[in-house]
Amino acid sequence: MKILESLTKIPRQIIFLVIALAVAGPLIIPIGIPVNVMPQTQKLFNAMEELGPESKPVLISCDFDPQSLPELYPMLLAIMRQCYARDVKVVLMALWPQGTSMVELAFEELTAEFTKEYGVDYAFLGYKVGAAAVLLGMGENIESVFPNDFYGTPTNSLPLMSSVKNYKDISLVVTLSTGDPGWRFWLLYAQARYGARLGVGVTAVSAADVYPYVETGQVIGLLSGMKGASEYETLVSQKQYSRGILRASQGMDAQSLGHLFIMIFILIGNIGYFIQQRSRKVQK
Amino acid sequence: MNIATNPWIWLSAILTLCIFSFLYRDNMLYRFAEHLFVGVSAGYLIALTWHNQIYPNLMRPLFVEANFLYIIPLAFALCYFARFIPKFAFLVRLPIAFVIGWGSGVVIPAYFQRDILRQAQGTLLLPEAFAKWDTGLWAIVVLVGVICTLIYFFFSRERKGIIKPAANFGIVFLMLGFGASFGYTVMARISLLIGRLQFLLGDWLGIIR
Repeated sequence: MKILESLTKIPRQIIFLVIALAVAGPLIIPIGIPVNVMPQTQKLFNAMEELGPESKPVLISCDFDPQSLPELYPMLLAIMRQCYARDVKVVLMALWPQGTSMVELAFEELTAEFTKEYGVDYAFLGYKVGAAAVLLGMGENIESVFPNDFYGTPTNSLPLMSSVKNYKDISLVVTLSTGDPGWRFWLLYAQARYGARLGVGVTAVSAADVYPYVETGQVIGLLSGMKGASEYETLVSQKQYSRGILRASQGMDAQSLGHLFIMIFILIGNIGYFIQQRSRKVQK
Repeated sequence: MNIATNPWIWLSAILTLCIFSFLYRDNMLYRFAEHLFVGVSAGYLIALTWHNQIYPNLMRPLFVEANFLYIIPLAFALCYFARFIPKFAFLVRLPIAFVIGWGSGVVIPAYFQRDILRQAQGTLLLPEAFAKWDTGLWAIVVLVGVICTLIYFFFSRERKGIIKPAANFGIVFLMLGFGASFGYTVMARISLLIGRLQFLLGDWLGIIR
Protein backbone atom coordinates (compact mmCIF):
# COMPACT_ATOMS: atom_id res chain seq x y z
CA MET A 1 0.00 0.00 0.00
CA LYS A 2 2.80 2.37 0.94
CA ILE A 3 4.45 1.76 -2.43
CA LEU A 4 1.23 2.76 -4.24
CA GLU A 5 0.84 5.83 -2.04
CA SER A 6 4.41 6.87 -2.76
CA LEU A 7 3.54 6.85 -6.47
CA THR A 8 1.79 10.19 -5.98
CA LYS A 9 5.06 11.64 -4.71
CA ILE A 10 7.35 10.82 -7.67
CA PRO A 11 9.78 13.78 -7.99
CA ARG A 12 9.00 15.82 -11.08
CA GLN A 13 12.66 15.50 -12.19
CA ILE A 14 12.16 11.73 -12.54
CA ILE A 15 9.02 12.28 -14.63
CA PHE A 16 10.87 14.73 -16.90
CA LEU A 17 13.77 12.31 -17.28
CA VAL A 18 11.50 9.38 -18.19
CA ILE A 19 9.62 11.51 -20.77
CA ALA A 20 12.93 12.78 -22.22
CA LEU A 21 14.23 9.20 -22.58
CA ALA A 22 10.91 8.01 -24.02
CA VAL A 23 11.06 10.76 -26.64
CA ALA A 24 14.80 10.57 -27.41
CA GLY A 25 14.90 6.76 -27.67
CA PRO A 26 12.71 6.35 -30.78
CA LEU A 27 14.48 9.26 -32.47
CA ILE A 28 17.77 7.32 -32.26
CA ILE A 29 16.27 3.85 -32.83
CA PRO A 30 12.99 4.24 -34.80
CA ILE A 31 10.20 1.76 -34.04
CA GLY A 32 8.18 2.35 -37.21
CA ILE A 33 4.67 2.75 -35.79
CA PRO A 34 2.36 3.11 -38.84
CA VAL A 35 0.66 6.48 -39.48
CA ASN A 36 -3.10 6.46 -40.15
CA VAL A 37 -4.28 9.32 -42.32
CA MET A 38 -7.24 11.23 -40.85
CA PRO A 39 -10.12 12.26 -43.19
CA GLN A 40 -9.48 16.01 -42.75
CA THR A 41 -5.86 15.59 -43.88
CA GLN A 42 -6.96 13.48 -46.83
CA LYS A 43 -9.46 16.20 -47.80
CA LEU A 44 -6.74 18.85 -48.04
CA PHE A 45 -4.46 16.47 -49.95
CA ASN A 46 -7.27 15.63 -52.39
CA ALA A 47 -8.08 19.31 -52.91
CA MET A 48 -4.42 19.90 -53.81
CA GLU A 49 -4.38 16.83 -56.06
CA GLU A 50 -7.19 18.32 -58.14
CA LEU A 51 -4.84 21.14 -59.15
CA GLY A 52 -2.40 21.02 -62.03
CA PRO A 53 -0.08 23.21 -64.13
CA GLU A 54 -3.04 25.05 -65.69
CA SER A 55 -4.75 25.78 -62.36
CA LYS A 56 -4.70 29.12 -60.62
CA PRO A 57 -1.85 29.42 -58.10
CA VAL A 58 -1.98 28.19 -54.51
CA LEU A 59 -1.37 30.85 -51.85
CA ILE A 60 0.52 29.63 -48.77
CA SER A 61 0.68 31.94 -45.79
CA CYS A 62 3.37 31.15 -43.23
CA ASP A 63 1.87 32.59 -40.09
CA PHE A 64 4.30 31.07 -37.63
CA ASP A 65 7.70 31.54 -36.06
CA PRO A 66 10.60 29.20 -35.22
CA GLN A 67 8.84 28.19 -31.99
CA SER A 68 6.30 26.19 -34.02
CA LEU A 69 8.87 24.88 -36.47
CA PRO A 70 8.61 21.17 -35.44
CA GLU A 71 4.88 21.12 -36.19
CA LEU A 72 4.33 23.57 -39.05
CA TYR A 73 7.57 23.60 -41.05
CA PRO A 74 7.17 19.93 -42.17
CA MET A 75 3.67 20.88 -43.39
CA LEU A 76 5.13 23.74 -45.44
CA LEU A 77 7.74 21.43 -46.99
CA ALA A 78 5.23 18.68 -47.75
CA ILE A 79 2.70 21.05 -49.37
CA MET A 80 5.40 22.80 -51.40
CA ARG A 81 6.79 19.45 -52.56
CA GLN A 82 3.34 18.41 -53.73
CA CYS A 83 2.86 21.72 -55.58
CA TYR A 84 6.34 21.61 -57.16
CA ALA A 85 5.99 17.96 -58.19
CA ARG A 86 2.61 18.65 -59.80
CA ASP A 87 3.79 21.92 -61.40
CA VAL A 88 1.23 23.90 -59.44
CA LYS A 89 2.26 27.54 -59.09
CA VAL A 90 2.80 28.78 -55.57
CA VAL A 91 2.58 32.25 -54.05
CA LEU A 92 3.93 32.60 -50.52
CA MET A 93 3.48 35.28 -47.90
CA ALA A 94 3.57 35.73 -44.12
CA LEU A 95 1.42 37.43 -41.52
CA TRP A 96 4.17 36.85 -38.96
CA PRO A 97 7.51 38.61 -39.48
CA GLN A 98 9.51 35.48 -38.61
CA GLY A 99 7.44 33.52 -41.14
CA THR A 100 9.62 35.02 -43.87
CA SER A 101 12.70 33.15 -42.58
CA MET A 102 10.68 29.92 -42.56
CA VAL A 103 9.85 30.43 -46.25
CA GLU A 104 13.47 31.17 -47.13
CA LEU A 105 14.57 28.06 -45.22
CA ALA A 106 12.10 25.99 -47.27
CA PHE A 107 13.35 27.53 -50.56
CA GLU A 108 16.91 26.62 -49.58
CA GLU A 109 15.93 23.05 -48.72
CA LEU A 110 13.84 22.45 -51.84
CA THR A 111 16.36 23.92 -54.30
CA ALA A 112 18.30 20.63 -54.26
CA GLU A 113 15.16 18.62 -55.10
CA PHE A 114 13.34 20.74 -57.70
CA THR A 115 14.33 23.07 -60.52
CA LYS A 116 11.85 25.91 -60.34
CA GLU A 117 12.09 29.45 -61.63
CA TYR A 118 11.36 32.34 -59.28
CA GLY A 119 8.61 34.63 -60.53
CA VAL A 120 7.32 31.98 -62.97
CA ASP A 121 6.71 28.90 -60.83
CA TYR A 122 6.71 30.54 -57.43
CA ALA A 123 6.77 33.97 -55.84
CA PHE A 124 7.28 35.29 -52.34
CA LEU A 125 5.39 38.43 -51.32
CA GLY A 126 6.97 38.66 -47.88
CA TYR A 127 5.52 40.04 -44.65
CA LYS A 128 3.16 42.95 -44.21
CA VAL A 129 2.04 44.40 -40.91
CA GLY A 130 -1.66 44.81 -39.99
CA ALA A 131 -3.19 41.43 -40.77
CA ALA A 132 -6.84 42.54 -41.02
CA ALA A 133 -6.06 45.40 -43.42
CA VAL A 134 -3.72 43.13 -45.42
CA LEU A 135 -6.30 40.37 -45.90
CA LEU A 136 -9.10 42.80 -46.71
CA GLY A 137 -6.86 44.66 -49.15
CA MET A 138 -5.85 41.41 -50.86
CA GLY A 139 -9.52 40.71 -51.49
CA GLU A 140 -9.60 43.83 -53.68
CA ASN A 141 -6.11 44.01 -55.13
CA ILE A 142 -3.06 42.01 -54.05
CA GLU A 143 -0.68 44.34 -55.86
CA SER A 144 -1.86 47.37 -53.86
CA VAL A 145 -1.03 45.53 -50.62
CA PHE A 146 2.24 44.07 -51.89
CA PRO A 147 3.57 46.53 -54.50
CA ASN A 148 6.94 44.77 -54.23
CA ASP A 149 7.81 41.18 -53.44
CA PHE A 150 10.04 40.13 -50.52
CA TYR A 151 13.19 40.86 -52.54
CA GLY A 152 12.05 44.36 -53.63
CA THR A 153 11.05 43.40 -57.18
CA PRO A 154 7.82 45.11 -58.35
CA THR A 155 5.07 42.52 -58.01
CA ASN A 156 3.55 43.38 -61.41
CA SER A 157 6.84 42.52 -63.11
CA LEU A 158 6.62 38.86 -61.96
CA PRO A 159 5.02 36.74 -64.74
CA LEU A 160 3.25 34.56 -62.16
CA MET A 161 1.56 37.57 -60.56
CA SER A 162 0.36 39.10 -63.84
CA SER A 163 -2.80 36.96 -63.73
CA VAL A 164 -3.33 37.23 -59.98
CA LYS A 165 -5.41 40.20 -58.90
CA ASN A 166 -7.26 38.99 -55.80
CA TYR A 167 -8.60 35.83 -54.10
CA LYS A 168 -10.67 34.99 -57.19
CA ASP A 169 -7.40 34.27 -58.98
CA ILE A 170 -6.18 31.91 -56.26
CA SER A 171 -7.30 28.28 -56.39
CA LEU A 172 -6.66 27.55 -52.74
CA VAL A 173 -5.33 29.45 -49.73
CA VAL A 174 -3.40 27.41 -47.16
CA THR A 175 -2.51 29.05 -43.87
CA LEU A 176 0.04 27.44 -41.60
CA SER A 177 -0.82 29.13 -38.40
CA THR A 178 0.40 29.17 -34.83
CA GLY A 179 -1.94 31.80 -33.33
CA ASP A 180 -3.18 35.29 -34.13
CA PRO A 181 -2.90 36.64 -36.76
CA GLY A 182 -3.48 33.31 -38.44
CA TRP A 183 -6.26 30.92 -39.45
CA ARG A 184 -9.00 32.89 -37.64
CA PHE A 185 -8.11 36.00 -39.66
CA TRP A 186 -8.04 34.07 -42.94
CA LEU A 187 -11.40 32.50 -42.11
CA LEU A 188 -12.91 35.82 -41.06
CA TYR A 189 -11.71 37.99 -43.92
CA ALA A 190 -10.63 35.83 -46.87
CA GLN A 191 -13.18 33.00 -46.50
CA ALA A 192 -16.27 34.57 -44.88
CA ARG A 193 -16.02 37.88 -46.73
CA TYR A 194 -14.48 36.97 -50.08
CA GLY A 195 -15.31 33.26 -50.31
CA ALA A 196 -11.72 32.06 -50.70
CA ARG A 197 -11.22 28.27 -50.47
CA LEU A 198 -9.25 27.73 -47.30
CA GLY A 199 -7.05 24.89 -46.04
CA VAL A 200 -5.56 25.14 -42.56
CA GLY A 201 -2.47 23.71 -40.87
CA VAL A 202 -2.23 24.49 -37.17
CA THR A 203 -0.25 23.58 -34.09
CA ALA A 204 -1.96 20.83 -32.10
CA VAL A 205 -3.00 23.32 -29.38
CA SER A 206 -5.35 25.08 -31.84
CA ALA A 207 -6.58 21.99 -33.69
CA ALA A 208 -9.71 21.39 -31.60
CA ASP A 209 -10.88 24.95 -32.34
CA VAL A 210 -10.74 24.42 -36.13
CA TYR A 211 -12.86 21.24 -36.27
CA PRO A 212 -16.28 23.00 -36.24
CA TYR A 213 -15.24 24.92 -39.36
CA VAL A 214 -14.12 21.72 -41.11
CA GLU A 215 -17.52 20.16 -40.34
CA THR A 216 -19.36 23.07 -41.99
CA GLY A 217 -17.03 23.11 -45.00
CA GLN A 218 -15.71 26.60 -44.25
CA VAL A 219 -12.28 24.96 -44.02
CA ILE A 220 -11.76 22.35 -46.72
CA GLY A 221 -9.04 20.40 -44.90
CA LEU A 222 -7.05 20.47 -41.70
CA LEU A 223 -3.56 19.41 -40.65
CA SER A 224 -3.35 19.11 -36.86
CA GLY A 225 0.10 19.51 -35.37
CA MET A 226 2.96 17.10 -35.93
CA LYS A 227 0.51 14.23 -36.50
CA GLY A 228 -1.17 16.13 -39.34
CA ALA A 229 2.23 17.01 -40.81
CA SER A 230 3.29 13.38 -40.62
CA GLU A 231 0.06 12.25 -42.32
CA TYR A 232 0.61 14.74 -45.13
CA GLU A 233 4.25 13.66 -45.49
CA THR A 234 3.03 10.05 -45.75
CA LEU A 235 0.56 10.94 -48.52
CA VAL A 236 3.19 12.99 -50.36
CA SER A 237 5.81 10.23 -50.15
CA GLN A 238 3.26 7.58 -51.24
CA LYS A 239 2.87 9.58 -54.46
CA GLN A 240 6.68 9.78 -54.64
CA TYR A 241 6.68 13.57 -54.64
CA SER A 242 9.37 13.71 -51.98
CA ARG A 243 12.99 12.62 -51.77
CA GLY A 244 13.83 14.59 -48.64
CA ILE A 245 13.85 13.72 -44.95
CA LEU A 246 10.34 13.37 -43.51
CA ARG A 247 10.85 15.27 -40.27
CA ALA A 248 7.38 14.94 -38.78
CA SER A 249 7.15 11.22 -39.59
CA GLN A 250 10.56 10.78 -37.93
CA GLY A 251 9.11 12.28 -34.75
CA MET A 252 5.87 10.27 -34.62
CA ASP A 253 7.37 7.23 -32.86
CA ALA A 254 8.69 9.58 -30.19
CA GLN A 255 5.29 11.28 -30.04
CA SER A 256 3.47 7.97 -29.51
CA LEU A 257 5.89 6.75 -26.84
CA GLY A 258 5.80 10.13 -25.09
CA HIS A 259 1.99 9.96 -24.99
CA LEU A 260 2.11 6.38 -23.68
CA PHE A 261 4.32 7.37 -20.76
CA ILE A 262 2.18 10.44 -19.97
CA MET A 263 -0.91 8.19 -19.88
CA ILE A 264 0.93 5.78 -17.56
CA PHE A 265 1.87 8.66 -15.25
CA ILE A 266 -1.74 9.94 -15.24
CA LEU A 267 -3.00 6.46 -14.34
CA ILE A 268 -0.36 6.01 -11.62
CA GLY A 269 -1.18 9.43 -10.18
CA ASN A 270 -4.91 8.67 -10.12
CA ILE A 271 -4.51 5.20 -8.60
CA GLY A 272 -2.22 6.65 -5.91
CA TYR A 273 -4.70 9.45 -5.23
CA PHE A 274 -7.66 7.11 -4.77
CA ILE A 275 -5.67 4.78 -2.49
CA GLN A 276 -4.62 7.79 -0.41
CA GLN A 277 -8.25 8.96 -0.15
CA ARG A 278 -9.36 5.46 0.88
CA SER A 279 -6.71 5.06 3.56
CA ARG A 280 -7.66 8.49 4.99
CA LYS A 281 -11.31 7.38 5.23
CA VAL A 282 -10.26 4.14 6.96
CA GLN A 283 -8.13 6.10 9.47
CA LYS A 284 -11.10 8.36 10.31
CA MET B 1 28.46 10.70 -34.78
CA ASN B 2 29.17 13.92 -36.62
CA ILE B 3 29.37 16.86 -34.21
CA ALA B 4 28.59 20.30 -35.67
CA THR B 5 31.43 22.73 -36.27
CA ASN B 6 29.19 25.74 -36.87
CA PRO B 7 29.54 28.05 -33.79
CA TRP B 8 25.91 29.25 -34.16
CA ILE B 9 24.64 25.69 -33.77
CA TRP B 10 26.82 25.35 -30.65
CA LEU B 11 25.46 28.60 -29.24
CA SER B 12 21.91 27.50 -29.97
CA ALA B 13 22.51 24.07 -28.37
CA ILE B 14 24.07 25.60 -25.24
CA LEU B 15 21.16 28.03 -24.84
CA THR B 16 18.70 25.14 -25.28
CA LEU B 17 20.47 23.20 -22.52
CA CYS B 18 20.45 26.32 -20.31
CA ILE B 19 16.65 26.52 -20.68
CA PHE B 20 16.24 22.77 -20.11
CA SER B 21 18.24 23.09 -16.85
CA PHE B 22 15.09 24.66 -15.32
CA LEU B 23 13.51 21.21 -15.39
CA TYR B 24 15.89 20.27 -12.58
CA ARG B 25 15.46 23.53 -10.70
CA ASP B 26 15.69 27.31 -11.15
CA ASN B 27 19.31 28.34 -11.65
CA MET B 28 21.62 31.06 -12.96
CA LEU B 29 22.10 29.50 -16.42
CA TYR B 30 18.35 29.37 -16.99
CA ARG B 31 17.91 32.98 -15.87
CA PHE B 32 20.76 34.09 -18.15
CA ALA B 33 19.16 32.42 -21.20
CA GLU B 34 15.72 33.76 -20.27
CA HIS B 35 16.95 37.37 -19.89
CA LEU B 36 18.94 37.11 -23.10
CA PHE B 37 15.82 35.94 -24.94
CA VAL B 38 13.68 38.75 -23.53
CA GLY B 39 16.30 41.37 -24.43
CA VAL B 40 16.85 40.07 -27.96
CA SER B 41 13.08 39.80 -28.55
CA ALA B 42 12.46 43.36 -27.38
CA GLY B 43 15.26 44.72 -29.58
CA TYR B 44 14.03 42.69 -32.55
CA LEU B 45 10.47 43.94 -32.07
CA ILE B 46 11.54 47.59 -31.89
CA ALA B 47 13.62 47.30 -35.08
CA LEU B 48 10.84 45.37 -36.80
CA THR B 49 8.16 47.93 -35.86
CA TRP B 50 10.30 50.79 -37.13
CA HIS B 51 11.29 49.16 -40.43
CA ASN B 52 7.96 47.50 -41.24
CA GLN B 53 5.43 49.85 -39.71
CA ILE B 54 6.48 53.35 -38.73
CA TYR B 55 9.02 54.18 -41.43
CA PRO B 56 7.28 52.82 -44.59
CA ASN B 57 3.73 53.71 -43.52
CA LEU B 58 4.29 57.12 -41.94
CA MET B 59 7.80 58.59 -41.97
CA ARG B 60 8.64 57.96 -45.62
CA PRO B 61 5.33 59.24 -47.08
CA LEU B 62 5.35 62.27 -44.79
CA PHE B 63 8.98 63.37 -44.65
CA VAL B 64 10.55 61.83 -47.79
CA GLU B 65 7.66 61.99 -50.27
CA ALA B 66 6.22 65.16 -48.66
CA ASN B 67 2.65 63.83 -48.63
CA PHE B 68 1.22 66.11 -45.97
CA LEU B 69 -2.06 64.19 -45.72
CA TYR B 70 -0.12 61.84 -43.44
CA ILE B 71 -0.10 64.56 -40.76
CA ILE B 72 -3.60 63.29 -39.80
CA PRO B 73 -2.48 59.75 -38.83
CA LEU B 74 0.62 61.26 -37.17
CA ALA B 75 -1.60 63.53 -35.06
CA PHE B 76 -3.84 60.56 -34.21
CA ALA B 77 -0.80 58.51 -33.19
CA LEU B 78 0.55 61.33 -31.03
CA CYS B 79 -2.81 61.49 -29.23
CA TYR B 80 -1.93 58.13 -27.63
CA PHE B 81 0.88 59.89 -25.75
CA ALA B 82 -1.53 62.52 -24.43
CA ARG B 83 -2.44 60.21 -21.55
CA PHE B 84 0.94 61.07 -19.99
CA ILE B 85 -0.22 64.70 -19.64
CA PRO B 86 -3.30 64.73 -17.34
CA LYS B 87 -4.63 67.99 -18.79
CA PHE B 88 -4.80 66.53 -22.32
CA ALA B 89 -5.44 62.89 -21.39
CA PHE B 90 -8.94 63.03 -22.98
CA LEU B 91 -7.32 63.22 -26.44
CA VAL B 92 -6.43 59.51 -26.24
CA ARG B 93 -10.12 58.77 -26.86
CA LEU B 94 -9.87 60.02 -30.44
CA PRO B 95 -7.59 57.29 -31.86
CA ILE B 96 -9.24 54.65 -29.65
CA ALA B 97 -12.69 55.65 -30.97
CA PHE B 98 -11.38 55.47 -34.54
CA VAL B 99 -9.83 52.01 -34.05
CA ILE B 100 -12.92 50.60 -32.29
CA GLY B 101 -15.26 52.10 -34.88
CA TRP B 102 -13.29 50.77 -37.83
CA GLY B 103 -12.71 47.40 -36.17
CA SER B 104 -16.35 46.85 -35.24
CA GLY B 105 -17.59 47.84 -38.67
CA VAL B 106 -15.25 45.42 -40.37
CA VAL B 107 -15.41 42.53 -37.93
CA ILE B 108 -19.06 42.26 -36.81
CA PRO B 109 -20.61 41.26 -40.20
CA ALA B 110 -17.74 38.84 -40.89
CA TYR B 111 -18.03 37.28 -37.41
CA PHE B 112 -21.77 36.90 -37.90
CA GLN B 113 -21.17 35.10 -41.17
CA ARG B 114 -18.30 32.92 -39.85
CA ASP B 115 -19.48 31.95 -36.39
CA ILE B 116 -23.27 32.23 -36.37
CA LEU B 117 -24.83 31.80 -39.82
CA ARG B 118 -22.51 29.08 -41.17
CA GLN B 119 -22.20 27.29 -37.83
CA ALA B 120 -25.99 27.26 -37.32
CA GLN B 121 -26.35 26.00 -40.90
CA GLY B 122 -23.84 23.23 -40.14
CA THR B 123 -25.89 22.13 -37.13
CA LEU B 124 -29.13 21.73 -39.10
CA LEU B 125 -30.24 18.23 -40.07
CA LEU B 126 -30.14 18.53 -43.85
CA PRO B 127 -31.24 15.59 -46.06
CA GLU B 128 -27.72 15.23 -47.55
CA ALA B 129 -26.35 14.45 -44.07
CA PHE B 130 -28.38 11.23 -44.18
CA ALA B 131 -26.93 10.01 -47.48
CA LYS B 132 -24.90 7.55 -45.37
CA TRP B 133 -25.98 6.11 -42.02
CA ASP B 134 -22.79 7.19 -40.20
CA THR B 135 -22.89 10.83 -41.34
CA GLY B 136 -26.58 10.92 -40.38
CA LEU B 137 -25.78 9.56 -36.93
CA TRP B 138 -23.01 12.13 -36.41
CA ALA B 139 -25.33 14.93 -37.57
CA ILE B 140 -27.82 13.90 -34.86
CA VAL B 141 -25.01 13.71 -32.24
CA VAL B 142 -23.84 17.22 -33.24
CA LEU B 143 -27.38 18.62 -33.02
CA VAL B 144 -28.03 17.01 -29.62
CA GLY B 145 -24.58 18.17 -28.39
CA VAL B 146 -25.16 21.78 -29.46
CA ILE B 147 -28.65 21.94 -27.92
CA CYS B 148 -27.62 20.32 -24.61
CA THR B 149 -24.50 22.50 -24.31
CA LEU B 150 -26.54 25.64 -24.97
CA ILE B 151 -29.06 24.51 -22.32
CA TYR B 152 -26.17 24.14 -19.85
CA PHE B 153 -25.35 27.83 -20.36
CA PHE B 154 -29.03 28.87 -20.09
CA PHE B 155 -29.28 30.41 -16.64
CA SER B 156 -32.68 32.13 -16.87
CA ARG B 157 -34.70 29.10 -15.71
CA GLU B 158 -34.26 26.90 -12.67
CA ARG B 159 -32.66 23.54 -13.47
CA LYS B 160 -35.56 21.16 -13.05
CA GLY B 161 -37.73 19.01 -15.29
CA ILE B 162 -36.31 18.34 -18.77
CA ILE B 163 -33.73 21.15 -18.43
CA LYS B 164 -31.78 19.32 -15.70
CA PRO B 165 -30.92 16.08 -17.59
CA ALA B 166 -30.34 18.04 -20.81
CA ALA B 167 -27.88 20.39 -19.03
CA ASN B 168 -26.15 17.42 -17.40
CA PHE B 169 -25.84 15.75 -20.79
CA GLY B 170 -24.35 19.05 -22.04
CA ILE B 171 -21.60 18.68 -19.42
CA VAL B 172 -20.62 15.35 -21.06
CA PHE B 173 -20.09 17.15 -24.39
CA LEU B 174 -18.18 19.95 -22.67
CA MET B 175 -15.90 17.44 -20.93
CA LEU B 176 -15.28 15.63 -24.23
CA GLY B 177 -14.32 18.99 -25.76
CA PHE B 178 -12.00 19.86 -22.88
CA GLY B 179 -10.45 16.37 -23.04
CA ALA B 180 -9.78 16.72 -26.76
CA SER B 181 -8.21 20.16 -26.23
CA PHE B 182 -6.03 18.85 -23.40
CA GLY B 183 -4.93 15.86 -25.48
CA TYR B 184 -3.97 18.16 -28.35
CA THR B 185 -2.10 20.44 -25.92
CA VAL B 186 -0.04 17.50 -24.64
CA MET B 187 0.69 16.56 -28.25
CA ALA B 188 1.84 20.11 -29.00
CA ARG B 189 4.19 20.21 -26.01
CA ILE B 190 5.70 16.83 -26.87
CA SER B 191 6.15 18.08 -30.45
CA LEU B 192 8.18 21.02 -29.14
CA LEU B 193 10.38 18.63 -27.16
CA ILE B 194 10.80 16.43 -30.25
CA GLY B 195 11.82 19.50 -32.27
CA ARG B 196 14.50 20.45 -29.76
CA LEU B 197 15.75 16.86 -29.42
CA GLN B 198 15.90 16.53 -33.22
CA PHE B 199 18.06 19.65 -33.21
CA LEU B 200 20.32 18.47 -30.35
CA LEU B 201 20.69 14.89 -31.59
CA GLY B 202 20.75 15.77 -35.29
CA ASP B 203 22.09 19.22 -36.10
CA TRP B 204 24.35 19.45 -33.04
CA LEU B 205 25.59 15.94 -32.17
CA GLY B 206 24.95 14.33 -35.56
CA ILE B 207 23.59 11.12 -34.01
CA ILE B 208 20.44 11.15 -36.15
CA ARG B 209 19.84 12.40 -39.73
